[in-house]
Amino acid sequence: DLRDSTLPLLNSPSVEGDAIKVYVRVRPPSEGTALTDGDQGLCLSVLSSNTIRLHSKPEPKIFTFDYVANMETTQESVFSSVAKNIVESCMNGYNGTIFAYGQTGSGKTFTMMGPSDSDNFTHSLRGVIPRSFEYLFFLIEREKEKAGSGKSFLCKCSFIEIYNEQIFDLLDSASAGLFLREHIKKGVFVDGAVEQVLSSAAEAYQVFFVTSTSMNRESSRSHAVFTITVESMEKNNDIVNIRSSLLNLVDLAGSERQKDTHTEGLRLKEAGNINRSLSCLGQVITALVDVGNGKQRHICYRDSKLTFLLRDSLGGNAKTCIIANVHPGSRCFGETLSTLNFAQRAKLIKNKAVVNEDTQGNVS
Amino acid sequence: GSGWAAVCEKFRTARTLSAVESRKDPETEPYRSKYSARALLQEVKQLLSAAEEGGEARLVAVRRAVLEYELGVNHTDTEELSAGEEHLQRCTQLLEPHRLSPDCVSLYIQAQNNLGILWSERDEIKTAQTYLESAEALYNQYMKEDGNPPLDPSEHFMSEEEKLTDQERSKRFEKAYTHTLYYLAQVYQHLEMIEKAAQYCHTTLKRQLEYCGYYPVEWALNAATLSQYYLSKQCFMESRHCLAAASVIFSQAGQVPSAEDNETEQDQQDLRQRKAEIARCWIKYCLNLLQSARKLLEDNIGELDPDRQLELKAQRKKEEDEKEKGRKKAVLFGTSDICDSVLAMEEKVSSVYPLDFQEAREIFLVGQNYVREAKEFFQVDGYVTDHIEIVQDHSALFKVLAFFEEDYERRCKMHKRRIDMLEPIYADLNPQYYLLISRQLQFELADTYYEMMDLKVAIGNRLEELDSHTIKKINSLAQLAIKYYELFLDSLRNPDKVFPEELEEDVLRPAMVAKFHIARLYGKLITSDSKKQLENMQTSLEYYTFLVDYCEKYPNAVRAVETELELSKEMVGLLPTRMERLRAKLCPFI
Repeated sequence: DLRDSTLPLLNSPSVEGDAIKVYVRVRPPSEGTALTDGDQGLCLSVLSSNTIRLHSKPEPKIFTFDYVANMETTQESVFSSVAKNIVESCMNGYNGTIFAYGQTGSGKTFTMMGPSDSDNFTHSLRGVIPRSFEYLFFLIEREKEKAGSGKSFLCKCSFIEIYNEQIFDLLDSASAGLFLREHIKKGVFVDGAVEQVLSSAAEAYQVFFVTSTSMNRESSRSHAVFTITVESMEKNNDIVNIRSSLLNLVDLAGSERQKDTHTEGLRLKEAGNINRSLSCLGQVITALVDVGNGKQRHICYRDSKLTFLLRDSLGGNAKTCIIANVHPGSRCFGETLSTLNFAQRAKLIKNKAVVNEDTQGNVS
Repeated sequence: GSGWAAVCEKFRTARTLSAVESRKDPETEPYRSKYSARALLQEVKQLLSAAEEGGEARLVAVRRAVLEYELGVNHTDTEELSAGEEHLQRCTQLLEPHRLSPDCVSLYIQAQNNLGILWSERDEIKTAQTYLESAEALYNQYMKEDGNPPLDPSEHFMSEEEKLTDQERSKRFEKAYTHTLYYLAQVYQHLEMIEKAAQYCHTTLKRQLEYCGYYPVEWALNAATLSQYYLSKQCFMESRHCLAAASVIFSQAGQVPSAEDNETEQDQQDLRQRKAEIARCWIKYCLNLLQSARKLLEDNIGELDPDRQLELKAQRKKEEDEKEKGRKKAVLFGTSDICDSVLAMEEKVSSVYPLDFQEAREIFLVGQNYVREAKEFFQVDGYVTDHIEIVQDHSALFKVLAFFEEDYERRCKMHKRRIDMLEPIYADLNPQYYLLISRQLQFELADTYYEMMDLKVAIGNRLEELDSHTIKKINSLAQLAIKYYELFLDSLRNPDKVFPEELEEDVLRPAMVAKFHIARLYGKLITSDSKKQLENMQTSLEYYTFLVDYCEKYPNAVRAVETELELSKEMVGLLPTRMERLRAKLCPFI
């Protein structure tokens, strides 16, 4: 069974201690479903650039986020407010992560990739991912010009998929279940994942596009993580300065699949069909332990693969943003509400640096 | 007759479709088998109505209730809640008058269970609670008034020779009730009735053991996790019992062939990891027991209070006679042979607060053994975070043991052991990926050096005169403490190396404590060079001033550092005068 596709609260510090930025984008309704007067048929309205009102009964709900993009917002503007800063930090040695979240049909693919019928890298409606590639390589070129021969760059990418708590390498179709491991110098990595060297934005896009379209599993059930590693080497006299950072682009499983997990709502897990195992008892107990505060305990159940892989992204030297996509139609009310609730929770992910300290008054 | 045999056959096929075949349904048609099962159930219902003529009313009602139940579950499975609810309600209505009789009670409880699940799907947890609690009450009433193994619902569509044995009936009935408790555990957790939820988890685990419905590894992990809940409540006896049971049951896991019985390398690896996880729970147990004992025994400057010690020892003597009475019968896991193994396991470590060094050491040694066991799996190569967490626990074990040690020299050696295990790891760690751990290590190393310095000062104070060796030692420990506090503070700087104007709430206290300790450390440095002394005082003053100014600017910070702030204010008042005097000594003729 899928274990939490949502992000648990992680204790991760961040240099600037910034919480995860949450960006909500409302897509326009499809062609032909023309809007009638007075927002009929719509379940939400954008009040300002960071508030949104959901027409719930009996009381409307108001949500506040870092940004709320209305239906008119352009692809360029989404990129500027969400990803530009993250790509820049990546050049400065930070890790950056962009998550896309939303139900199928909420405009997630359009936001991240662009129009589905176009593999044209320069399409004016291209999405966050191609624009990020462009901008990253543009910055690299600029750096190179500034520094002359003193500075060199190496970009590599990997592309993995997490399906049913198993990890598959999308760049190596022959591979089966890979493992996550940690290295004291390099952090978390997927053991044995293929890394492909990239020399241009077009090449990055090509790898990404070809691989994404050849994926044959139902993508709404899996998380896909495309990672670009940017390594730079700078020579100053005899000192070599090496920097390395990661840019993760994450396509989360469709939010309508959240009900497969135990994190949404209050569903009791049916155990009638499960032979001897009461498989979610562990989750209940884990939650009980989580409520108890104090650090001196150990919980036997590990993070999900996704949160483990992105451990640094949820803090550490990372800048992270979640783009939550919603469809304004009344028929999507339920999904929209759960997406906004998820995004609200994500805002609470606070990067916590807990330092053990004994509160003793041994001050003389 | 043969007509009835055909009906039973249809019914059985429907159940097989629902339970077995449906798992193989393609993702594009997730409910294919469920729909086929439903069609069959509807057919059975038709046949039943035809056969009802002249049938015995009660028997007919019960059979109809079974079908309503199956249809109810079927509709719930296919996300048609309203239809599902209707069927289940009809089932309970049919059974209402007979719900305490052996041929209905099990079916009735299962219908209630499913109504509970159904309402939880609608996010109406309170309604779910009422159904499940009434199922629980019915079970208890039946066991009190009758207690014979009741019929399983499926038996109503079986021929006489197929009927189940009493043993099998009992097993199925108890399983349905275990599920009631298991759902209630979830309901209470959702309602944030934490203690009740824990109690129900506990009972569920206990019943799994009793009725042999468990996977050893999963069971052991759940019990070990539950032990951690009891730790957070400081219930050491319960915590130890859960852990001992976890260890005992886990040891069965290697012996029982798994369902597939083709143990891969992956499975072996999993098993080793689980074992290490349980060891880690034991480490936390020892650590918490020692730390709680320290809290009881320490005076207001964090030293062992001998009066308190005597008092607690006397109190314990009194309680020892009562100890066995205190054992809640409900807590005990397992049937007699398991129970004996669990008790034997428990005897290896105490569950009462250690009150002197000897007692503390015994718990420490148990903890240290589990550290070794946990590290066997969680090696630094591949499991950086886990490995370091275990080392941090090991260090914490030494730290709390040092509290019980009266000899300062030996206490110092224990802290040295902490330095020796933490420093090399810290040196290798890349803070870009492990910033949090890196900060924790910086702070702990700083604190350990700080503590060692204090001990050396205390040892020096007993001497007639400080010898140069001790002075050197004190100074070098102080310098090292300063170094690590500064590293920690540097980790808070932004990429342009600027210290934040306002500190984030979660690093506020540690950062302030670091500043405060650095101020004190500069005050402790021993030098015969008055100029140097003046410089140290100046630095010390700057750090104290930082605290005072910061709290003035951000009054919200005051709460986090009350004691430190008070002392800093005092020092900011005193130091300039002292420095003045020292300056006067330096240049007496001005």
